[in-house]
Amino acid sequence: MTDAIATETRPSLWVRLTSGSPIVVTLFALVLGLLVGALIIITTTPTVLDAWRGLFHSWSSPGHALKVTFDNVGAAYRTMFTGSVVDPASFWHAVTTGKGWTTTLTPISETLTYAAPLIIASTGVGIAFQTGIFNIGANGQAVLGGIAGAVVGSMLHMPTVLHLPLTLAAGVAGGMAAGSVPGLLKAFTGAHEVIVTIMLNYVMYAFLLFVVLSTPFQQPGQQNDISRTMDPSAQLAPLFGTGSGLRMNYGIFVAIAVVIFAWWFLERSSMGFDFRVTGANPSAAKASGINSRAVLVLVFLVSGGLAGLAGIVQAASTTHMIDGGFLIGSAGIGFTAITVALLGRNRPIGIVWSSLLFAALGVGGRAMQASTGIPLDLAAVIQSAIVLFVATPVLVKEIFRLRTTPTTAVQLATKGWS
Amino acid sequence: MTVVSTTPASGVAMLAPSARTRVIAVIMAVIGVFTVLVFGLGSVAGAHSSLTFNPVNLSVAAPWHVGTLTLLTRWTNVVLGIVMMSIGAEVFIRKPRRGVMLRFGGVAILFLFALLLWAARSPGPSQVSFVNLTAILIGSSAVAMVLVFGSLSGVMCERSGVVNIAIEGQFVGGAFVGSVIASTTHNFIYAAMGGAVIGGVLGLLLAFLSLRYLSDQIIVGVVLVTMIGSLSSYLNLQLLTPFPQLNTGNLAPNLAIPLLSKIPVIGPVFFNQTGFFYLMLVLVGTVSFALFKTRYGLHVRAVGEHPQAAASVGINVVRVRYINVVLGGAIAGVGGVAFMASQGQFQPGYTSGLGYIALAAMIFGRWRPSGAVVASVIFGLSVYLSYILVSYQVPVSIYILQMFPYIITITVVAGLIGRVRPPAADGLPYHHD
Repeated sequence: MTDAIATETRPSLWVRLTSGSPIVVTLFALVLGLLVGALIIITTTPTVLDAWRGLFHSWSSPGHALKVTFDNVGAAYRTMFTGSVVDPASFWHAVTTGKGWTTTLTPISETLTYAAPLIIASTGVGIAFQTGIFNIGANGQAVLGGIAGAVVGSMLHMPTVLHLPLTLAAGVAGGMAAGSVPGLLKAFTGAHEVIVTIMLNYVMYAFLLFVVLSTPFQQPGQQNDISRTMDPSAQLAPLFGTGSGLRMNYGIFVAIAVVIFAWWFLERSSMGFDFRVTGANPSAAKASGINSRAVLVLVFLVSGGLAGLAGIVQAASTTHMIDGGFLIGSAGIGFTAITVALLGRNRPIGIVWSSLLFAALGVGGRAMQASTGIPLDLAAVIQSAIVLFVATPVLVKEIFRLRTTPTTAVQLATKGWS
Repeated sequence: MTVVSTTPASGVAMLAPSARTRVIAVIMAVIGVFTVLVFGLGSVAGAHSSLTFNPVNLSVAAPWHVGTLTLLTRWTNVVLGIVMMSIGAEVFIRKPRRGVMLRFGGVAILFLFALLLWAARSPGPSQVSFVNLTAILIGSSAVAMVLVFGSLSGVMCERSGVVNIAIEGQFVGGAFVGSVIASTTHNFIYAAMGGAVIGGVLGLLLAFLSLRYLSDQIIVGVVLVTMIGSLSSYLNLQLLTPFPQLNTGNLAPNLAIPLLSKIPVIGPVFFNQTGFFYLMLVLVGTVSFALFKTRYGLHVRAVGEHPQAAASVGINVVRVRYINVVLGGAIAGVGGVAFMASQGQFQPGYTSGLGYIALAAMIFGRWRPSGAVVASVIFGLSVYLSYILVSYQVPVSIYILQMFPYIITITVVAGLIGRVRPPAADGLPYHHD
């Protein structure tokens, strides 16, 4: 009887906070990731180190050292927030005076601008993960998608109604072309997708440099690695007009469409069902008559196509051209997409939230670099740290003494090379 | 809470190995035909290419003069192409069970070499009209050395059943720490020790997450690589840019072995190398001996093949895996220092996928140290040849040339899987309760 009563009453907030449910674990992983970032700032910023050294050299008070530490870490995280979400002071100014809305909205607009392609690419990676496929090649696929889309966008000329869809479709096709290689190789030879896709990433970077330095695609009159500029009819225009100063653009709607498509695909379509069954239990999938070879090729086409779309959305909404540094290094949305998909547990909605978070970290990291001089790469370190903690939920639960629920005790199924 | 499961290989019907052998044979023959037509018959009848054998470092020049070998470009390349075609024909007809990809690697190297001879032909468009074979071998040996370190690390980890995909990250970490230590102490032994420590720590992290918490090893490895990559780039801006004295030029000195280093061609390649090269040779022997001739190695292989059986005879599976992953990480860390010492300093992102090529070399070498050496030599040659082709005026974009090593790696991996057998428990989590 008491059991029945216990299940009927709503658990207290404290019980829910320590429950160890996936969402709680994710929140605690965020905290841990930010702590790792703070630790890195503390151990590598000269002023902070000097303050602590002062403890032993000039017998300054520990309070001073702590103050310097908190000042530096606080400034970094504060600019990260104000640079990516909203600056309260500027917001208050805008509300009271009615002026300066552009400045106030710029951070959130930038975050949404970067989130749109990230959502698209991560959805592709997430669909692959749900099928049991690790698509590390999303970045290379996005690069090829960007190239294909930019070629169509800059070298063909037609009205917007035709040009924009065609440009986006070219991006999808480019991503599919790059994705088909690991898909076909895995289906017909069993070559592990991890090595093949990583090697293809490097092939794609080389190809990118080749095309942006070759005559038909290079910006005429330029010696640098810059492509032609895409026609306005092929660009994703800013939502509030080009004169608004806000880069927030129609790419967001593309991202929303992709999320809806992904939800429908995974939950309602029969192909998506085949994908998920293959991911959950390959042998069962085979036994029930699912053509595993076709699934392998198709999942790479879907995942690659979405990555390619992300590449062209990125190019069509921000730079309107591509250069030799397109998606390289910290700008590589294909790599961020892997961490986003893991953080969002490969579900479309989870991916939306994680994309917004990681886009904010990236945009905020840029603001942090500009104002405090702490390099932007810190944001990527924090992102990876968060995902490491999310990938090991038991560790997070041990650190925060959360209860381990029976359902979450089930571990990831790891499998080897072949 | 299944976030991910990687690779649903069971249940995938693959192309039969014999059919794939024929595909590879046809590829080799086509490369041969291309070589004959373009590099052979495509060059002017009188054109010739010069091969020189100068050691880069003149202190180890042979006591007698080694002249220049002048070859007629057209007929040399025709012969090379015919050799490739006959290898293809041999594979097509005989369908050998082993060594197909070895032959493919050989054909790839011959192809790049034929391209090089053709590029250096005189009269021809190139300013540089000779090919220094000794220099090529020395340069390739530096790349191969790094790959051997990486694949030895892979062998150590995977023989015990843990996939170490973080080799690239251990390279980066080793290169970073190695550069800082070498710049401050001017001592490469300390640098190597620092690299081993950082690699070992990364290995420990991988082992901790994948053995204690049974996380997906491939995902943890890839995320570690991303993390180390961005951390190194962060530290590069935060520490090395303001304090350039922490990242000064540091080429490891060559230690010439008396007399032996004076042998033409072979001497400068094998006996006038950095300490890292000799260390690599020692490690290959040590790992090979430890894995296949000692009691501990038997334990390792048992753990990698069938952990439950190993545990039932009293082997501590988790401890063996911890030890091997940490040692493997340390080896890769030293490999990172070796790479830094051959490049001179640390730069973010400059390992450009070598860690993954090393993994491919490990697969190519069938999870054996000796095989890893052969594979690393092939990959090292292909990386270096496509790299130096840039200095000749080849009518192909240098960026297309840069793709070659990666494409060769993909082809090799695609041709090998199913033909080679990884340790049975490779990458599988082990529940020890």
